[in-house]
Amino acid sequence: MVEIVAQAVINGLLIGGIYALVSIGVTLIFGVVKIVNFAQGEFVMIGMYITFFLATQFGIDPIVSLIVSMPVLFVTGVLVQHFLIRRVLGLNDLPQIFLTFALSLLIINVALMLFTANYRTVHTWYSDEAFHVGGLYIPVAKLIAFVVAMLLSGILWVFLRTTDLGKAMRAASQNRDVAQLMGINPNRVFAVALGIALALAGAAGSLLMPFYPAYPMVGQVFILMAFVAVVLGTLGNVIGALVASLLMGIAESLGIQFIGADSGLIVVFALLLTTLAVRPSGLAGGGRR
Amino acid sequence: MRLRGWGGLVLAIAVAVMLLLPLVVTSSFAIDILIRILLFAFIGTAWNLLGGYAKQLSLGHAAFFGLGAYTSTLLQIDFGISPWIGMVAGGVVGMLASLPIGWLCFRLRGPYFTIATIATAQVLMLIFLKFRDFAWGAEGTTIPNLGNSPLMMQFDGKAPYYYIVLGLLAIALVITAAIERSRIGYYLVAIGEDEDAAEAIGINVPRVKRNIYMISSFLTALAGTFYTQYIYFIDPQTAFNFNISIEAALVSIVGGIGTLWGPMIGTVLLETTSALLQSWLGNSIGGVQLTVYSLILMAVILWRPTGIMGYVYEVYGRRRARSAKG
Repeated sequence: MVEIVAQAVINGLLIGGIYALVSIGVTLIFGVVKIVNFAQGEFVMIGMYITFFLATQFGIDPIVSLIVSMPVLFVTGVLVQHFLIRRVLGLNDLPQIFLTFALSLLIINVALMLFTANYRTVHTWYSDEAFHVGGLYIPVAKLIAFVVAMLLSGILWVFLRTTDLGKAMRAASQNRDVAQLMGINPNRVFAVALGIALALAGAAGSLLMPFYPAYPMVGQVFILMAFVAVVLGTLGNVIGALVASLLMGIAESLGIQFIGADSGLIVVFALLLTTLAVRPSGLAGGGRR
Repeated sequence: MRLRGWGGLVLAIAVAVMLLLPLVVTSSFAIDILIRILLFAFIGTAWNLLGGYAKQLSLGHAAFFGLGAYTSTLLQIDFGISPWIGMVAGGVVGMLASLPIGWLCFRLRGPYFTIATIATAQVLMLIFLKFRDFAWGAEGTTIPNLGNSPLMMQFDGKAPYYYIVLGLLAIALVITAAIERSRIGYYLVAIGEDEDAAEAIGINVPRVKRNIYMISSFLTALAGTFYTQYIYFIDPQTAFNFNISIEAALVSIVGGIGTLWGPMIGTVLLETTSALLQSWLGNSIGGVQLTVYSLILMAVILWRPTGIMGYVYEVYGRRRARSAKG
């Protein structure tokens, strides 16, 4: 029994690392730009397809393809900010919500036209490998994904704390007007925030590819998780999003283990709705907007 | 309703055309498209009460659609109760469900309200998928075909379905028009403009939001019953399909959010585009319809956030100003 629970916790923790990359992106964009990016999951999907094509066309390992998927999505983020999001900043909720929502619909359905709904998988030499520690089973591909995800989150945290640009982003997220008075160029900061957030989504895509199939709707799983994590971890809080994502990975995995294979999401949503009922401002507290 | 006089005439002609249309259009494909248009115009109009006037941008109206569909189907199959009664019962179930859902979701504002509504609809779908003893689980069930039996909302041709959904749309439009002119209508618009300000001038914001959510979900649930009866089939994936929530919001936004005719005009535009695309490209390529929808939605948001009706009012207002100047 203890072993089953421990195994479920490990499985959940490992996938939670991927959720964290997506949630950190969502919370970063929300914190800095004050926009909820409904299309974040679709950028994970794009990262997966980039990785898939690099692997099948050129035999490039999914982990190596990080060096392609992250820059490509960084540039995509800058472009999305420049051509789309910039135009709805300061407007009311409707354009702000439905612009990225429309973007999400567009990306999914273009992918559906280009790649069909078929599942695409990449099989690497470590896809089926696992470490056995005691009675526990730790899949190598998921472990690599988790470690790289934590590494990237750590780098982001250091970046936000120590570099001028990172500090500018934190300043802009605390008070945009004052930040601007201090000589911070909001457009540049917003573009970098979008770029980083999308690069993280792209990284999540590459890391998923050795053990998770790519298909046009794949992003929806991750965006739902990210939304719950971001609400749980208090909006705009990077550490909160990270911790909440790991917890959610575990909750989902326990749900699958003990309630049924199709019940992971029920647990996650139940968690979200309970949080809303009890602590609408998230576990870490803070304003509700 | 600013076009009194001529407006009345146009409306009368439109009603006459709508009533006579099934006599002229006999192709089953065409009448099917008309039914779809009326159905989504109806759902859009229901969504518009909450999403358009009060600007509570729900993407979870599939919850009520599904509850309505399941209530009437369960009543019919387990107890032999007519879907006509089931439809009203479903509406009441939807309305009651909006109370806890609203209690939860209205704690959040803006995008997080939207996310919470998505989550509630998803939870309901998962529940109906999971509990197979209660409502057939993922396989769903077909509605027993009784031949032509109007009392059980089953008909031979498609025309009767057309009139039912036309009637539903008419009810929704009358309710919307009545609300638009009532005190509640102004409260809703005030809440849509600025919730805090509305609260400050003494509007009981939570109560107004709750009431309009109840009306909106009641109407949406009726659509669920109708649709199930029309396609003779129900399963969680169809009844709680996210696309229902999306289209309800989409037709209103494209047509003109917070206007009486907006959802109807938006549906006509989107569904006609979709039908044309389908007959042009066939069903071979998935995703074409929603690709076009999302491009239209993006264009509306970036260039004309008030939708088609907003544009109409703008042009009409300009012309009136010009003629006044003389």
